[in-house]
Amino acid sequence: MSDIIWLTLFDREEVRDIMRIKLFGGLRQTAGSPEFEVSGATIREALENLCAGNEALRAAIFDGSVLRPHVRVMVNGRDCELESGLETAIFQNDQIAIFPPIAGG
Amino acid sequence: MQGWTGKILDINLSNGGIEIVPLDMEMARLFLGGRGLGARLLWDLVGPEVEPLSPENVLIFTTGPITATGSQTSNRFNVSSKSPLTDTILHANSGGWWGMQLKRTGYDALIVRGKAKKPVVIEITPEGVALKDADHLWGKGVFETTEALGQSRNKRNVLCIGPAGENLVRIAAIMNDKERALARGGPGAVMGSKNLKAIVVEGQEKNKPADQDQFKFLLYETGKLLKASPLTSQALPEFGTAVVMNVINEIGALPTRNFQQSQFEDADKISGEAITDNILVKNQACWACPITCTRITKTKSDKEGEGPEFESAWAFGAQCGIDDLDTITEANYLCNDMGLDTISMGNTIGCAMELAEKGLIDDDLSFGQADKLLDLIRDTAYRRGIGGDMAEGSYRMAKKYGAPGLSMSVKKLEMPAYDPRGMQGQGLVFATGNRGACHETGNMLGPEVLALPRLIDRFATQGKAGIVSVHQDSAAVIDSLVYCKFTNLAVAEEFFARTLTAVTGELFTADDLMMVGERVWTLERLYNRREGFTKEDDTLPDRLLNEPVSGGPSEGFTVKLAPMLEEYYAFRGWDKNGVPKPEKLKELSLEFTIEVAYD
Repeated sequence: MSDIIWLTLFDREEVRDIMRIKLFGGLRQTAGSPEFEVSGATIREALENLCAGNEALRAAIFDGSVLRPHVRVMVNGRDCELESGLETAIFQNDQIAIFPPIAGG
Repeated sequence: MQGWTGKILDINLSNGGIEIVPLDMEMARLFLGGRGLGARLLWDLVGPEVEPLSPENVLIFTTGPITATGSQTSNRFNVSSKSPLTDTILHANSGGWWGMQLKRTGYDALIVRGKAKKPVVIEITPEGVALKDADHLWGKGVFETTEALGQSRNKRNVLCIGPAGENLVRIAAIMNDKERALARGGPGAVMGSKNLKAIVVEGQEKNKPADQDQFKFLLYETGKLLKASPLTSQALPEFGTAVVMNVINEIGALPTRNFQQSQFEDADKISGEAITDNILVKNQACWACPITCTRITKTKSDKEGEGPEFESAWAFGAQCGIDDLDTITEANYLCNDMGLDTISMGNTIGCAMELAEKGLIDDDLSFGQADKLLDLIRDTAYRRGIGGDMAEGSYRMAKKYGAPGLSMSVKKLEMPAYDPRGMQGQGLVFATGNRGACHETGNMLGPEVLALPRLIDRFATQGKAGIVSVHQDSAAVIDSLVYCKFTNLAVAEEFFARTLTAVTGELFTADDLMMVGERVWTLERLYNRREGFTKEDDTLPDRLLNEPVSGGPSEGFTVKLAPMLEEYYAFRGWDKNGVPKPEKLKELSLEFTIEVAYD
């Protein structure tokens, strides 16, 4: 493992990275804003922090410990399901987007 | 079999002939109605010798066996013809009320041939069929024409063209119920070429299902499923179709400034969320539809109308680099009144903007000029100035100025709101589209972005051919029944088959329906082959094949079309040149096309 990666991992333990979360559709009204800055080492941590104190938002995103059906979470435009799901690691300046069930086209 | 009236109304405008001819019931069983029946009838009526804007071309309006039964979304209908924009088969379908009302007049289909000596209206009522003078309506917009002919939601419904169709604009739509559109491929120009201003329908007949109890049960169950799905009961009613604007932008697949970029910095300003927050007055539904995705909107200047839906908001928005939602909305209203296809119109304006910025046309047009949008649309409808070039569609315009590669089209049909460099499967859909680049005949938004029914890697190419084929066949059968594709978000083909069985009294399985879909798709393919189309036409604009996306989540990608096409032909049972093999044609009961396939 290179020093750079080690330092990154070290930083992630000691300094909580700040990520921007963008919300869409009805989630904006439930959350009270279209955008938030949150910390977390994984998507799950970031979403837990986002939902802290807002049970309606939690219910709109989570079904127990998993995402509700049709809720999509993307990191920098890539669906987290194609990575490690809610356990996907996130880093400073990553952009997380959360979409409630949507359809159209 | 019930579900069909067994009658086709056949009108020849050249001599005023009006005939009622029987529907071949074996043909009905094989092609159902809508797009399928339209394609089958067109095969016999319009050969390669026919010029699309000549009297020899026809317009075939078709309903389906479930139309007007009251089954959820059983309001839609289809028009088939040869396209003056693409020279391919043309099919377009629309919702509202008119299709339901045509079925109530007692006909499964209406064929219009020839050319009237002067403008006419066809009126089909319980009193009979009449051709009426339309001199006083020629030159009028769609809204005024619709009102003048007595549009009344459930009783009397008007379908007509606006100035664009009269002026043979190749991207002209046919409008019904004021603001619904049979848009793609220029059917409005075909109607204009016949001097046919409008068709008014008033009917009294009912489409009664053969098995009433089973039909009522399925109606109840389908209602429950549509209500239980958050897609059909929340997402579409709350935010309309444009709610997908942000997600497509987020992944880097929202074509921007004539597909020069794949993300629009102001996408949120033209999104479904913005429409709901800023201009939405109320929702509206087509006949027998519980989904209510239609938006009734009002702009700051107090103009009110329908839309924009997703494709229109994109076409006048990101495609033209415009973020002014009010102007985009008024552009949509204006296209409805002029009778223009919003996708082709916005896409063509974007093409003109790039041609001008590159100095290829002598005009100060540039991306982002919202103040020019409405004039450009009017000029296209009336063929004035640069509008005369745009009236020919983006391909002919770009070719005239020496840059056909700047037309973002396939088979000359302008592409809808997806950059396939960020959705490889969508690239295959567009390249193989029988009517050209089309998102309504096999959209990959579901599997490649929204995880419907499950998520696949949007950048992958291997394995996409099978998924694309299934989506194309499914869309073809839904268009032939005719249902709205949004029902398919909550209700699977199995339910369509059970409903069709209850309506007709004859057993149809989901497999039977998928075979109808494949049959329709293949017949359309053969129609185009008879017109001279080959595998060389299964392609995409050079920009998408050779210019990598310059930034964002799709950075560095082009469409890897060749391997997907090879896999696609094999999956479909076609040869390496994309020609269906004889055994496949026999399997699909398309023996009558074998001579054309292997001439």
